[in-house]
Amino acid sequence: MKKIDWKKLKETDWKKAAKDFWYGKPHGERRLGDLYMPKTGLYKHREWRGVKDTFYYFHNIWLYNYAHMVMDIMKFGGPVTFAKGLWRYRWMGQTYLPVLHWFDRGLEGMRGEALRASAWHYRAMVCVSINQFMNMFKADANLHGGQHNDAWKHTFAHKETVWGGVFYPWQDRFTNVPMEMIPYFVTCHVNNHTVLNYIDAVQSIGLPGDPCPMCQAEAGLFVLDDMPDYAPLVVTTNEACDGSVASTAIQDWYLDIPLFALPQPMQFDDPLVQEHCANEIRELWKFIEDQTGVPFDWGQLKKRLERQNELQRFEWEKWDVAANTNHYPINGVAQALYRIYQSQYGDHYIWHDTDKRVRKILEKCVEQKIDTFPKTRHRVIAWSCAPLYYSHWCTWAYNCWGLNCIINMDSLMFDMTIRTDNLDDCVMDMALYHEWAPMRRMAVGGMHHIFELWENMEKFHCDMVMMYDQLQCKGMQGVHGLFEDEFRARNIHAIWMPHALPDKRTVSRSEIRTIINDYMTTVMQEEPLDPSLLDFDDSESW
Amino acid sequence: MRTLFKILGKALLILGGLYALLFAVFFFDLDGKALFYGVEPFLVKHYDKMQRRDPLKQTYETETPSYEYKV
Amino acid sequence: MRDLKHLIFFENLLQEANNDLVKQARNEGNKALGYTCYFMPEVLLDLPGCFGVRLRAPRSASPDMATYYMSGRTCHYGRSLMERALEGGFNFLDAQMATETCTVTCRFQEHLQRMDIIQNPDFFCEFCDVPFKKTENSFVHFRKQLQAHVLDKLHEKFGVDVSDQALMAAIQQHNEVCRLITEIGSYRKLDEPTITGYEFHVIQLVSLVCPKYLILPYLRETAEEMKTREPDRKRTWRVKVALAGAENDDPDFTKLIESCGARVVADRYCYGSLPGREEIRVEEGQAPLDAIARHYLETSMCPRFMPQDLMRGRKKYLADIVREYKADGLIVASNKFCEYWSYERTMDALILPRDFGIPTCSIEKEYVNSASGQLRTRFQAFIESVEIKKIQEGAKK
Repeated sequence: MKKIDWKKLKETDWKKAAKDFWYGKPHGERRLGDLYMPKTGLYKHREWRGVKDTFYYFHNIWLYNYAHMVMDIMKFGGPVTFAKGLWRYRWMGQTYLPVLHWFDRGLEGMRGEALRASAWHYRAMVCVSINQFMNMFKADANLHGGQHNDAWKHTFAHKETVWGGVFYPWQDRFTNVPMEMIPYFVTCHVNNHTVLNYIDAVQSIGLPGDPCPMCQAEAGLFVLDDMPDYAPLVVTTNEACDGSVASTAIQDWYLDIPLFALPQPMQFDDPLVQEHCANEIRELWKFIEDQTGVPFDWGQLKKRLERQNELQRFEWEKWDVAANTNHYPINGVAQALYRIYQSQYGDHYIWHDTDKRVRKILEKCVEQKIDTFPKTRHRVIAWSCAPLYYSHWCTWAYNCWGLNCIINMDSLMFDMTIRTDNLDDCVMDMALYHEWAPMRRMAVGGMHHIFELWENMEKFHCDMVMMYDQLQCKGMQGVHGLFEDEFRARNIHAIWMPHALPDKRTVSRSEIRTIINDYMTTVMQEEPLDPSLLDFDDSESW
Repeated sequence: MRTLFKILGKALLILGGLYALLFAVFFFDLDGKALFYGVEPFLVKHYDKMQRRDPLKQTYETETPSYEYKV
Repeated sequence: MRDLKHLIFFENLLQEANNDLVKQARNEGNKALGYTCYFMPEVLLDLPGCFGVRLRAPRSASPDMATYYMSGRTCHYGRSLMERALEGGFNFLDAQMATETCTVTCRFQEHLQRMDIIQNPDFFCEFCDVPFKKTENSFVHFRKQLQAHVLDKLHEKFGVDVSDQALMAAIQQHNEVCRLITEIGSYRKLDEPTITGYEFHVIQLVSLVCPKYLILPYLRETAEEMKTREPDRKRTWRVKVALAGAENDDPDFTKLIESCGARVVADRYCYGSLPGREEIRVEEGQAPLDAIARHYLETSMCPRFMPQDLMRGRKKYLADIVREYKADGLIVASNKFCEYWSYERTMDALILPRDFGIPTCSIEKEYVNSASGQLRTRFQAFIESVEIKKIQEGAKK
């Protein structure tokens, strides 16, 4: 038995210990890194955040989300469907279960309103994810003895980079489910082991290792026969890049169902391309009408778009607070993931519920002038595509170095509302929205777009750039030197963060942390806020 | 009345115990540990040995690649 | 076989982008217009007063400066062009007619637009949006793009005559080039081809990088010469192969394959003639620009096209070429870091042997193939396997 260290007990400042127990330790004394078990990223124990925040986390995040995960499953299709899907699909079993650890990683060290608002964003993403995979499973012929049931007949499949809004006209009778959003995109964030199977699978049929690993994984899902057979037609797109177009050919081989290609013009600044793009959307609608026999419904489209516009307007309000105050209560990872998920997937009731809750928190923060991230040393803008397996780097960077990631490139993409007073204007706006998708708005149509960084830096009052360096993104690699030139010419502190989007084997989380640590100590000459976070082994963690 | 208090007392005790248990699971990350060391390896083993369709055997129609919607 | 009269001349023209005929055309007052992709219709760049030069970076070494700008993880071709531009090798250009049709060449051209690289005060770089489908909507869109970003620009900047008559004249000239190249290429279909893959590669390339009006007399003469050319008495090849894949403007690569015992009889790659050298047909009453826009979308077999029938049809097209040119096998080569061809090659290598019975060799290469020893081993092994297959088939018969 461990001996009681009476000397230490005597020296203990009980008043401070009581204060720490009640309020949680102040930033700088927390030593969050000591909570980790070696390699696994599991916690010896979860963080004590003071009585109020610990029990908020326990009740309103941990218990609430476990309970709601069960309730969502019941609501969206039932436990039998869920169990069948879990047993059949690797991405399901490996990803869905450790979801609360995904919350933990993103919310480490958060307190007060920042903890609450960020957690609501996570809850919304979980709800939509459950909704999507349950819709897949309900319709999935693989889970129904090869039979194409009614749900199968009323579901559209599409690439995750097709904006869900183009299906609004049929959303009262049909469901649209992006093929890769849950099996690929969400899995990378929640459990980064899963996706490696798909990357390996596609390389096993002869694909070289250098194409974009996102497209590789998306194709690998099909090669590994891990994609539900849930829809009678599929809509594809050229977003984000050449790899998306190319990998679609493999997906089409395995899907073998009617396919509509919905391209996005590259030169989106050119007014001449808008009509072409609008016509493509109209042709998609014609394709759906022809295939299903169900006519286009302008009322549905209008209704859904108006709801979506509400979401966009609130996003602008959030940006305004983020840009101009220190009262913004959403951390970098919650901001980035929620925004990309919501704007790409399209309207869903949970986004509205979440925005209502977040609005209350946001208003409280502004009214009471709450400094939500009080240890901020640098306001950071993150640019280019983020490492999916380490999207929570910003939580770590704030806890360790006081780097507060205010905004990121992907959040700024679909930066518009859509007119709904008449169909012609509406389709033209939809075309532009479709063209301003993630990984494109700042990446194609002229190099000047990627340099919108400077004006956004100014707008959001950021003094540092976290420059994501996706090693297999040809578009971003192809502009590397000019960024270097500009950073130097503008005297901007920028940290290049190399990564391979979903593939942690190329650059590990630990390597990413080392790169940031090195920059902060050698260039910025700063001391860490929490030295226990400088170096730890999480190589096997989810 | 006394019986009612007794039952209520027991229920409170059980609920309290359950609450404490859940808090322990939460605080000591027992859910994470069970999933990491128990559930995930079991499921991975299952997925690894699953019989899967060989996608390379799938036909690839190049002559008449116009697919009918077969609802 | 008797040496082709102009082969050495042609080879010399390929030694640098600013070759003798380019210099001559510029001295005659014509504007040099660079481009990289089939989707920029060369016929429009060959209007009176200007000429198109499909950019190459021959005799490239390590693209160090370009690697600073575009990193070492992008296509070597794109980087080599950038390097050559930074070295001053493209200063003869008066304009770059750009397309955003594959990422890295797009980035290269954007650098030309953004940085002061081309030392020519009048230089400009103009981008054209190219559709991903072959539908009516795409044709109309492409035509508008060509009008706005090619014809209007050429007229505005250089006073080029872009009338229908001028376009018809350019089409006629272009069609003659296509006819001649197709005629020369057709000798590859013979049981005993009277032209090597290397020779044809050189001829096709000079037709892309030289002013048409200056190269035409040489092509005419070569076509004439081909009519009487006899095959070697003793066969110099063991098998015939079709070569498909990504950007390939290196005749030495074809030579390397042929030195291993194959005869390259079909060139279905970027910068190749299949497709690419089909004549443009203008229907009665049709505007020439409309015919051009349709032609370039309809004929292209680029893996950039997204519709299902086109994705799948490309495999059939490749198999048809192999049969038409009586090839015994197929080599599919993609450039390292080329997203489109990485996937296309992977699928070709799986589907063509399985569904069409065509032996296929799948390789990844660089723009400058310094590791030729490894490639040689791959080709030798492939040729041997095709040969064995032929022997076995012969024995069965």
